[in-house]
Amino acid sequence: MMAVYFGFVLLVAFNKPLLATIVMPGLSLGMLLGALVIVVAWALTWIYIRWANTHYDEALKGLRR
Amino acid sequence: MTSSLGEPNLLAISFFLAFIVGSLGITVWASRRTRTADQFYAAGRSVTALQNGLALAGDYMSAASFLGIAGLVAVSGFDGLIYSIGWLVGWPLVMFLIAEPLRNLGRYTFADVLAARLRQTPIRIAAAIGGLAVICFYLIAQMVGAGNLIQLLFGLPYEVAVAIVGVVMLAYVLFGGMIATTWVQIVKAVLLLGGATLLAGFVLARYNFNPLALFAAASEVYGTSVLGPGRLVSDPIDAVSLGLALMLGTAGLPHILMRFYTVPDARTARKSVGYATAVIGFFYLLTFILGFGAMVIVGRGQITAIDAGGNMAAPLLAEAVGGTPFLGFISAVAFATILAVVAGLTLSGAATLSHDLWVNVVRGEKADQREQLRVAKGATVLLALISIALGILFKGQNVAYMVGLAFAIAASANFPALVLSIFWRKLTTAGAQYSMLAGTASALGLIYLSPTIQVDILGNAEAWFPLRNPGIVSISIAFAVAIGVSLLRPVPSEEQRFVDLERQLHLGVE
Repeated sequence: MMAVYFGFVLLVAFNKPLLATIVMPGLSLGMLLGALVIVVAWALTWIYIRWANTHYDEALKGLRR
Repeated sequence: MTSSLGEPNLLAISFFLAFIVGSLGITVWASRRTRTADQFYAAGRSVTALQNGLALAGDYMSAASFLGIAGLVAVSGFDGLIYSIGWLVGWPLVMFLIAEPLRNLGRYTFADVLAARLRQTPIRIAAAIGGLAVICFYLIAQMVGAGNLIQLLFGLPYEVAVAIVGVVMLAYVLFGGMIATTWVQIVKAVLLLGGATLLAGFVLARYNFNPLALFAAASEVYGTSVLGPGRLVSDPIDAVSLGLALMLGTAGLPHILMRFYTVPDARTARKSVGYATAVIGFFYLLTFILGFGAMVIVGRGQITAIDAGGNMAAPLLAEAVGGTPFLGFISAVAFATILAVVAGLTLSGAATLSHDLWVNVVRGEKADQREQLRVAKGATVLLALISIALGILFKGQNVAYMVGLAFAIAASANFPALVLSIFWRKLTTAGAQYSMLAGTASALGLIYLSPTIQVDILGNAEAWFPLRNPGIVSISIAFAVAIGVSLLRPVPSEEQRFVDLERQLHLGVE
């Protein structure tokens, strides 16, 4: 998550022309990547909850015994 | 286009009164269930995952998110979106690192986690200083937003508007505690999501529901540069600094962390972060549409003419696409947003003052339930008065920017000590204490020396410290101090105490 986000922030910081590239009318690379960062955050959260609810909680149950 | 902003809007007033009456009804109901400290601070730990998810979103989506980002995007284009994105990515971090251990080890405030493994008195005092600094900056932003909004909407004087917010919020927290505050957050989150979705829908309807057509229209009027990074983050290091503060700050906000104590266990805490992330992410995607919609449909000129900070972009957009009735509705939603966030902040401030400072430090844990409640309520009244005073004092500041600073303080003062206390065995009391103090002091000091205060407010030619956001320096200082002090003076007994607590930290068993 941090890698994805800081990749984005570093591009904002050091490669502005790249992010300003227009991919198609009305869409710049920066906006596309920005929206993708939000989608990645969703996906990672969802994967973590799935994993934790099935595997992590079971492992904890085992440890409690 | 002329705007009816500034004239009393009857519909807005009725929506607004309906919200106040409804939420005070919740407060009356909640007050019957608020007898103990557990109920006052943590809603009796009976909140479900979905409820807490919505309440987290309600606590988080403040005036800065709705009014501030919409305004920043409308005025600066892409740059405003950096806030949207940065504020969302903090959530996975909260989920992976903080939520579950926090729920397992604490009772009412995040300082409980640190106090559980370290010596409580110095830790709680340092945590209270950092926590209260964050809460104050955050409160200023909300109060300034509320004052502007009511002034424009109802034609009331700014000072009166700020006082009304203070008094209504006081009623929620004082009588209904966490139960009322949670429900006010839930109602507000639903209203805000509904209102923002509707507004975005109205905007997109003009562009055949194709966001790209809207963005293309924006770049036709203002040039394609609005779709790329611009002036607002011209300095690369400043951009990284802001990015760091936005991300790590979320995991250091006292009023957000406090919400994890309202659920029964770590598993529910985890699920509630999932709901919150989904809802908040959706809302921030909407801010793309709202911001560019306001830029094109209302126009930059009119937005900045009404408020230089751009804070009124969203209400103006509502008026442009839905007329005066919709302006009334959106304004009432924005107002509810602010009230709810102020209530959440005040409650966490009251918990810090009474639970951390009074009960644990002054009274050495010897306070009974009645005394705890009495002190908490006294602290609530005190904070309400302080927030009214700060709101009046800081009139005219940009809302999203002020919240950005609150995040910088949270990321420097609270986050390093909290995350190290969960994951690092060797952390000592002195290390955590000096880290929190150094983080708070460096963040505050660097804000004072930054161009925002020195150049924009005091009118000096240049600032001693070049960055507008201190995060990159102050967060590093806080981590360095915590690690340095702990390694220079190791305390084996505290290390042993952490090993003893690790079971409870991860498993949640006593």
